[in-house]
Amino acid sequence: MKITRKEKLGNFLFVVPALVLFLVFSLYPILRTFELSVFEWNGIDKHMTFVWFEQYKHILFNNPAFWKSMANAGIITLLALTLQNGLALILALLVTKNIKGENIYRTIFFLPPVLSGIVVGLIWKFVFDGNFGILNHFLVNIGFASFTDFAWLSEIKTALLSVGVVHMWKGFGYGFIILLAGLQTIPVELYEAAEVDGADAWQQFKNITFPLLIPIFTIVTILTILGSMQIFDLIYSMTRGGPAGHTHVPITKIYEYMSNGEFGYSTAMAVIFGMVLLVISGAQIYASKKLNYDR
Amino acid sequence: MNIYKIKRISTSSVIHIILGSVALTCVFPVFWMISSSLKTQDQIFTKMSLLPGSLLDIFNWKWGNYWEAFVKADFGYYFANSLFYTVVGVFFVILISSMAAYAFSRLEFHGKTFLFYLLIATLLIPIPGVFVPLYLLLKNLGLLDTRTGLLLCYISNGLAFAIFLLKGFFDELPREVEEAALIDGCSRFGIYWRIALPLAKPAIATLIIMNSLTIWNEFLLALVVLQDKAKMPIQRGLMVFQGTFITDYPLLMAGLTIATIPIVIVYLLMQKHIVKGIASGALKG
Amino acid sequence: MSKLKTIAALNLCLAFMLCVFSGCQPKEVKPKADVVIWHWMTDRQAAFEKLADDYYEETGVKVLFETYAPTDVYKNKISAAATANLLPDIFNPVGDKKEVASYINADFIADLTEEMDKDNWKDVFFSKALGQNSFEPGNEWNVKPGIYAVPLDVNALMIYYNKDLFKQAGLDPENYPKTWPEFIETGKKLRAANIQPFVSGFGEGWLIGAFAQSYEWNLFGKDGVLKVLEGEIPYTDPRWVRIFRLFEEMKNNKLFASGIVTMVNKDAERSFATGKSAMAFNGSWGVNVYNSMNPELNYGVMPVPSLPEGKFPLLMFGGEGSSLFVNKSSPNRQKAIDFLRWMTQSGPQTFLAKETLNIPSNKNCAADLPPMLKVFSENIKNTFEVLPKIETWQVVNFININLQSVIIGERTPQDAAMEVQSEKERQMKAGK
Repeated sequence: MKITRKEKLGNFLFVVPALVLFLVFSLYPILRTFELSVFEWNGIDKHMTFVWFEQYKHILFNNPAFWKSMANAGIITLLALTLQNGLALILALLVTKNIKGENIYRTIFFLPPVLSGIVVGLIWKFVFDGNFGILNHFLVNIGFASFTDFAWLSEIKTALLSVGVVHMWKGFGYGFIILLAGLQTIPVELYEAAEVDGADAWQQFKNITFPLLIPIFTIVTILTILGSMQIFDLIYSMTRGGPAGHTHVPITKIYEYMSNGEFGYSTAMAVIFGMVLLVISGAQIYASKKLNYDR
Repeated sequence: MNIYKIKRISTSSVIHIILGSVALTCVFPVFWMISSSLKTQDQIFTKMSLLPGSLLDIFNWKWGNYWEAFVKADFGYYFANSLFYTVVGVFFVILISSMAAYAFSRLEFHGKTFLFYLLIATLLIPIPGVFVPLYLLLKNLGLLDTRTGLLLCYISNGLAFAIFLLKGFFDELPREVEEAALIDGCSRFGIYWRIALPLAKPAIATLIIMNSLTIWNEFLLALVVLQDKAKMPIQRGLMVFQGTFITDYPLLMAGLTIATIPIVIVYLLMQKHIVKGIASGALKG
Repeated sequence: MSKLKTIAALNLCLAFMLCVFSGCQPKEVKPKADVVIWHWMTDRQAAFEKLADDYYEETGVKVLFETYAPTDVYKNKISAAATANLLPDIFNPVGDKKEVASYINADFIADLTEEMDKDNWKDVFFSKALGQNSFEPGNEWNVKPGIYAVPLDVNALMIYYNKDLFKQAGLDPENYPKTWPEFIETGKKLRAANIQPFVSGFGEGWLIGAFAQSYEWNLFGKDGVLKVLEGEIPYTDPRWVRIFRLFEEMKNNKLFASGIVTMVNKDAERSFATGKSAMAFNGSWGVNVYNSMNPELNYGVMPVPSLPEGKFPLLMFGGEGSSLFVNKSSPNRQKAIDFLRWMTQSGPQTFLAKETLNIPSNKNCAADLPPMLKVFSENIKNTFEVLPKIETWQVVNFININLQSVIIGERTPQDAAMEVQSEKERQMKAGK
């Protein structure tokens, strides 16, 4: 089909509102962020000192704590990508299996994302509490007496994992509803035809559900990466980056610098962090495109 | 009983056990929140029981906490404000993003790929960095302390992900119907409005849920951008219970329960549409 | 083309609706007040409003208190408003001295020295109360020496102890430990009786730092503390290693409540209020907090126990509590100052103390305080002295993190001290 210039112009009108808002309220502040990141500035002074890329250099080569925080977020993200999304997929598949009470489950599974961070933080601190916490109570009762006063959130080995578990619990509901929505776009006829051909449940999943869900997986994966790398509230309410800085993540670090009057420096951190996210998400989009074309 | 039936019953009970145990962990905090909202401050910490008191005593539970929370937090007009921000914000996010996503998925125009990736890239810069520039921008536009300013921020915040999600869905929708409609003389806009949009219902329902949740719970931006109490959202009301030194837990929990209900309702309303997609036969025949 | 028109119309429609939204709200109603105050003390809002009403009746000047909480959000709001030059008449930048200095140097904060001298206003305050808000000659930020804020209340950090739990462990509840070895002994006895001995919000860096600093004053004295700040005495000095060892000693004798290194103070307060821990290092606001969580709690207050080898008096964190600063460029500056002057007189201060259970900054009101608060107010004289210099936040951070690190057994006191010292050297190099 030939497309005239006028048509192209007409097509462009579809994106104009999004574009205008986006340019003014997203791109412009981001560009300003870039600008601020080459200044040394405490956020208050009328005077800013232009320092070229000194702050970038410092972050890249002299700030191991920031990179450690990046690694922490990376671990939480990996956990979320595998376990959280795996759980979301299994639940989404099970719930569409025409079982009784399907609607009740669907409602309940979205409760964690709906709940306020305050409640979630409080509850899980009760669970992990070293002193009469619910988890320890349970462990001691089934025979692990050594857990009587084990403080999950204060031990180097378990702090990050514990926060990771809560993060996954709070987040799986998102993946769940997106996958659920995705499952609905697969025409029923395909399954009916497969059934006639005698395909079992696994074959149906492998040959119909999975390939057709790839684009949705991409979305869920990106959402998970962004949500997990930018984790903040939970860390702040559960550990404040402790014990001894072992659960710091990039946003808590950026926040720490910003609230200590290192405005320019913290924006440079934000930019570097943004770049890292860009590369990860870019790679992810590329990979799934490739997978999509190959099938 | 035949083997087939036994197999079916056992499979379904396995499924129920899996779903049930996950569901239990999700319900527990809600239960705790509501139960705490019916206790007194010292009961919350000294009595760790799950119920606020014996069931026989149900009329003596602190039901008054709800009324007190509602009054103390000025929930009345904060509630109305939040409702306004959420409804208007979500409406525009969906309208604007679905138009753009449709164009990105189906239409030809200059700079399409570039614009799309630029849009996606904004998902990635963390908020703490853009906070002050955004504030200065609103000031320069004269939008500080206005509902419009706050709404515009909310809307543009939601766009990138919404476009990304919707484009993914549009890409997967079969094009045959649209092409037929085009031949029948339907305009591009007509196709978007009458065909593509209804088909994307599950995705739109999902987006409504997610964006409502974000806007309803947003707090930081609202507090910084707005000065006038009369424009503040519901989260401002909850703040009253979290003192610098003292947190009034029962009232906070009562307030949180009140503030959670609308979102649960939105979810209940929307999740029905997540099923009524293509699967129910929109494309059949 | 109809399609073009439809879309163009839709865009117009969008633009129009957005305009409507801006139109449908009441036209910029500036708060009808003479003096606007932004603060973060949600729990005092009711009392503040009552005072504002009284003031209005007395003088006809309308004062408006606006709360923004939690403190982080408040701080964000203040700094954003400062950047856009939209600060209210009265506020507080909530930060350390360096941050306060940057607000002063950027002309956001009025110099109150002259006002404070008028009618000897400054004499009504505990002298320590002005600490955070006054700058000495030769301060490192080049701020003109003077007083820059009005303190509303004062606080001090001490150790609360649960008398019932002390009895349960066979300890004399009226005879609390006064020296470090006694403190450790007490802790051991409590632990032996299956009671968690010590709790505090050590997950919030500043509390763990404040505890350590008490011993810095104890071991180094004012000159020594200053020399550490100047970098003339390194953190690897045996006395600082000793401070790190104190935490190790507490850990080895199982004094710490489970999970103390990630505990925020609100959780620590809960632990003490519910009788799960026998001693709590906490501020004077705790009196109010414990009262609300568990009115039955039977407790006493003791100073931080000093070291036998400490050559100098052990001082405690405290002095200035919450203060308010006046906007230098506010057209209502004088009205704002007059209100603050009124607010710190005996009447309003006594009212505030009674309503909010804080120690008033006006020392003349201390006599009427409830007994527990009185102990704190008497302890104000033993709080840290004001210094012309502070440690960079990075080093402070390193100290706090390394203290935590010692508690979880990740580093030895020696290693921790070395870590802090190397950060100190990095910061000194960067500062030059």
